[in-house]
Amino acid sequence: MSSDSTLFSNRWLPVLLVAPMMLLIALFFYVPIFQAFYWSFFLERPFGGGSEFVGLDNFARVLADPEFWKAGWRTIIFMVTASSLAVLVPLILAVAADRKIRLSLPARNVLVWPKGVAGASIGVVFAFIFNPFVGILAPLNSIFPGIWAPGINGTDAFITLIAAHVWGGIPFNFVILLAGLQSIPRTMHQAAAMDGAGPWRRIFDVQLPLIMPQLFLTLVLEFTESVTSAFALIDTITNGGPGGATTLLVYKIYMDGFSGYDLSGASTQTAILMVFVIILTAAQFIFLGRRVNYER
Amino acid sequence: MNAIDTAIRAAAADIKLIGVTKAYDAQTVVIPPMDVELRAGEFTVVLGPSGCGKSTLLQMIAGLERVSDGKIMVGGREVQDLEPKRRGCAMVFQNYALYPHMTVFENMAYSLKVAGVRKAERAARVAAVARMLALSDYLTRKPGQLSGGQRQRVAIGRAIVREPNVLLFDEPLSNLDAQLRHDMRVELSELHRRIGATSIFVTHDQVEAMTLADRILILNKGRIEQFDTPKAIYHHPASVFVAKFIGAPPMNILPVTGDGSVLRLADGQIVAEARLTGSYQLGIRPEDIIVGIKADGHAVRAVLRFREDLGSHSVLAADLAGSVIRIATPFGADLINQPELFLNLPAARLHLFDAETGRATCRAFAAQ
Repeated sequence: MSSDSTLFSNRWLPVLLVAPMMLLIALFFYVPIFQAFYWSFFLERPFGGGSEFVGLDNFARVLADPEFWKAGWRTIIFMVTASSLAVLVPLILAVAADRKIRLSLPARNVLVWPKGVAGASIGVVFAFIFNPFVGILAPLNSIFPGIWAPGINGTDAFITLIAAHVWGGIPFNFVILLAGLQSIPRTMHQAAAMDGAGPWRRIFDVQLPLIMPQLFLTLVLEFTESVTSAFALIDTITNGGPGGATTLLVYKIYMDGFSGYDLSGASTQTAILMVFVIILTAAQFIFLGRRVNYER
Repeated sequence: MNAIDTAIRAAAADIKLIGVTKAYDAQTVVIPPMDVELRAGEFTVVLGPSGCGKSTLLQMIAGLERVSDGKIMVGGREVQDLEPKRRGCAMVFQNYALYPHMTVFENMAYSLKVAGVRKAERAARVAAVARMLALSDYLTRKPGQLSGGQRQRVAIGRAIVREPNVLLFDEPLSNLDAQLRHDMRVELSELHRRIGATSIFVTHDQVEAMTLADRILILNKGRIEQFDTPKAIYHHPASVFVAKFIGAPPMNILPVTGDGSVLRLADGQIVAEARLTGSYQLGIRPEDIIVGIKADGHAVRAVLRFREDLGSHSVLAADLAGSVIRIATPFGADLINQPELFLNLPAARLHLFDAETGRATCRAFAAQ
């Protein structure tokens, strides 16, 4: 308590400063989440008016639906591949930028720009970039017709999604990882060099172990975020197609709820997804977090 | 113990710098062309104020900093274009630079691991060095769990486990407290006697330099002011810079003029007989001044300003001919009521420096 009063003379000031953020989080996160949990035990009418408590019927229905499991599986594949790449690519870029190779200064600047682009805009741009007729892979199609067809081929569409997601994830992860690399004292590199370790060896023996806290942070954030942030990309690039190949759980929830008017089913899936993310994050902290060495 | 000693006794190599230069561009020359020779097995201390280029010099020898020009020879081999690991040098850093994620054992064994030394031999060599540095009980700890002195010993162990021909120290004691620094100095001296590797030790601390060095290399703005034994540097400083850098309190420097028969202070008092003409800077160490309370011979008159009692002796500060002169004397308390002092500056203890260049000039005192 004494530490509070040393920072703020007025005890209501901190409350006041935190209030707007808390209000926003409560209004747009906690309230909807608890509402979704609540609704998942009721059968809602599509156009409102009257709802019926059905216990766990919704969960039984959703879990028996093969489409739910397919979407869930796609979500996991997307989560693992996209978020691993979304950490790996910025990591490679950060290691290169840290090395002060040619053009690394302007590159550092440019790589942060995607942070200012909304997910939906990234989607629109990537839909254009990977367009099979005018995009960067179009020349490939003129040599091997049909080799790149995200409109027909589910894998191609999935790859487009992942590429867009990774690109959008570069700025934040790049900044965090580069900051971690730059905080490694210069003498640490020199000591390793004197010990005979070349630049490549130093990456694995010195740099990576020392930025474990940053790597852990980016991985946890990526894994949780990739579950939901894919929505904007799917909605603008593939609409869940072709043939449902890119319908991740988050997009299926949206389709079921707002196109299919299965509000109860959508709420139930939201609740399941939420619990899954909580378990996943907890597992990361339990199994990975403990091994992270925060000592410098 | 003998087995250990021979096991980690290094094949010392001599080091030759031939016209070694460090310049970032035409304007910023850190080290103008330097020629110096360090004998095999010698403990050289590079001493100088911060920014004099001493760390740069060390890093160039280590291979961490490129040489702008010139040659570095280690054991007769030209090394200035080789990678650090191929120069046979090991280094102890100021902030230890231990790997925080590795245990003490892993820290010391890392260079051997990189070099591809077999596991059993790695363990044996680390164990031998750990015994020597009294680190055997800490091998499984991480650096974060060690005290400053222990970390320093790990850093030293990491350097000597490879049995380098040359050991480089970059102000390794400056992060330790006074007592620990003293202990480590003694340990380093012993260690050097046992290992025998050519050692270069960079510091700005004159006490470290005086106690550790076989020879001290004093740098000023990248130039060698003097390179000699501690004794010679103390008793025959080659320049005003060296004279003022070594000794606590440092040597007094007073402007004098010679008229062909005597040297006079700025206020006209005669300080010594000498057949010199022109302006000079006269140096005398505080402990060489003889304090009296009566005027006799060439004693000069000074006014006592203040007195610091240090137990074993006192340091007096007095005004003499417009400058402050410091005197170290065993008689302190007796002079407390004596504002006027008569100082005898023994001719044999005087140092003469050129007024412009600050370099020592030959002594030409008639009274000798």
